[in-house]
Amino acid sequence: MKIETTEKKPWRQIEFRIERFKPGRIDPPRFQSFRVAVDDQMSVLDGLEQIRLRQDAGLMYRHSCHHSACGTCACRINGVERLACTTRILSLNTETVVLEPLRGFPRLGDLVVEMTAFYRDIDPAWSLLTPAEPIHGAADPAEDPSLRLEACIECGCCVSSCPAAHRHAEFMGPAALAALHRQMAKVDAARQHDLLAAAASPRGERLCERALNCSRVCPTDVYPARHIADLRRRAKASGTPPSLK
Amino acid sequence: MEHILIIGGGVGGSLAHDLTLRGYRVTLVERGELLSGTTGRHHGLLHSGGRYVFHDAETARECYEENRILRHIASEAIEPNGGLFIALTDEDLSHRDRFLEGCIAAGIPAAPLSPRQALAREPTLNPALLAAVRVPDAVMDAWRLAMAFFATARANGAVIRTFCEVTDLKMFGRQVAGVRVIDHRSGLSETIGADLVVNAAGPWSGRIAAMAGIGVPIQPGPGVMVAVRGRVTQAVVNRLHPAGEGDIIVPQRRLSVLGTTAWLADDPDQVTAPAEHVARLFALCAELVPAVAAMTPHAVWSASRPLLQSSPNQDPFAISRTFDCFDHAARDGIEGLVTLIGGKATTMRAMAEQTADLIVRKTGRDFACRTRETVLLPYRRYWRGDI
Repeated sequence: MKIETTEKKPWRQIEFRIERFKPGRIDPPRFQSFRVAVDDQMSVLDGLEQIRLRQDAGLMYRHSCHHSACGTCACRINGVERLACTTRILSLNTETVVLEPLRGFPRLGDLVVEMTAFYRDIDPAWSLLTPAEPIHGAADPAEDPSLRLEACIECGCCVSSCPAAHRHAEFMGPAALAALHRQMAKVDAARQHDLLAAAASPRGERLCERALNCSRVCPTDVYPARHIADLRRRAKASGTPPSLK
Repeated sequence: MEHILIIGGGVGGSLAHDLTLRGYRVTLVERGELLSGTTGRHHGLLHSGGRYVFHDAETARECYEENRILRHIASEAIEPNGGLFIALTDEDLSHRDRFLEGCIAAGIPAAPLSPRQALAREPTLNPALLAAVRVPDAVMDAWRLAMAFFATARANGAVIRTFCEVTDLKMFGRQVAGVRVIDHRSGLSETIGADLVVNAAGPWSGRIAAMAGIGVPIQPGPGVMVAVRGRVTQAVVNRLHPAGEGDIIVPQRRLSVLGTTAWLADDPDQVTAPAEHVARLFALCAELVPAVAAMTPHAVWSASRPLLQSSPNQDPFAISRTFDCFDHAARDGIEGLVTLIGGKATTMRAMAEQTADLIVRKTGRDFACRTRETVLLPYRRYWRGDI
């Protein structure tokens, strides 16, 4: 990392316009502005933390890991689905940061949405682990291959950005289809067939409109649209009849 | 059955799991999102205990025991790729024998590797390394591993209330009888009665204890971590020396986390990461893996460790990372309040066991701990409780 100077860059005042919502109290939702002193390191999540700790203890947002591993802090930042923790405020190049909750999920309060629907088509038992990409020049022992956690952190950005998910409530959606496709690589042929049948169902890949927003907004480069395209190709090739689900 | 109220959605999750398995009625309140304080915000190391063999043998033993248990009860949230301690200088090398002896004493399997063997496994390591020792470190998904405790506790009947902040303790004389909370969603305050209140607020536990007019020996110890894009190694890389700054790289998913710095603070709500700490982490971690020097920060954050206070002006790296739980009836003459402090994510199950054992004694029950062998439900069950 290049260290240009030990002196701190001057702090800038940035406006955070946050869509507030408290059922029955701030209802319908409305925007509220806060001013935050910002340096060139601070993330949008750091800004939210400052507002909660210094200006409004009742500000609701989700956060945990602060480094794009947990997926809880996804929201719409200046209209685009992103993680608050890895979005540097000054990289947005705006005087105003507009924050809204993810679309298409029931709102609980302020930026917090209810994630139950997100998990509707993701089996809790689907594996979280996958072989890690080899590191160039490494002798990875075959009997003890390195594993890593799946890239998808289930943040909900893709679902919020997906026009088809908003048009068709029954659509499995990009996150579930990507997870299903990843799971197919880890199971036997019979289970693969069942998974492909689910993906080819009337609630599955056929509802995808190829807007590709999911791949654009995904903060961990899962590229859900590629998984959906592969499911579509495999469904066509196998002639899997649509299930009646 | 007694109603136990837990304050804090971090290690409180493992306590809620333990207590529901033993048959108690449990409510847990957390001021924000679950795991938004310390427990979800660390670098993800599932300690082998190796880091602690130099100065904290008790924690070293606890870590290895819990490492094995968590691999059994929450295997899906763990990257099981081991860890290396590497010596880069003659001084580092001088610690090797003591390190190996400490590992043996703590029961931690440790295997010396030659520089060639280490570089064959991890070719990005500093090629000037003098020696390496392989230990059973691993990497956890800090959020998903802990959420598996919450998911299981909830499935077993625990009531978990987020965005629900404790504003006061409900006291009858010197008896704690519940908590006053504000629900940040509804804006309403309410009293939740309980037979016993557990203060599991980590570095914030001093604030809860103060509501009962007492103190607890907690010292917030914030530290900075930096994530860079790309897995620079498969195994965790530690510097072979007594603990210090910038001596660990934790690969996770397709990131690597550089850790850590440490200082002592009065306020656990640490929101800024000093820029000079970030620069130090890059410089020191580049000694372990030179490629780090050319990388840029993907994320920078800080978290407050919940250190057990021993003496003022202590070295934050030398403070024991063990845990303790206090019955304030015996300690301060306050009935109905237990505080759980210290510890670390790797030992969250053991912290819960010891605290639940104390609660069993206080409530005159005879329930044994079952968390060592009970495999946790998948964390996604937290949202899909129906199946």
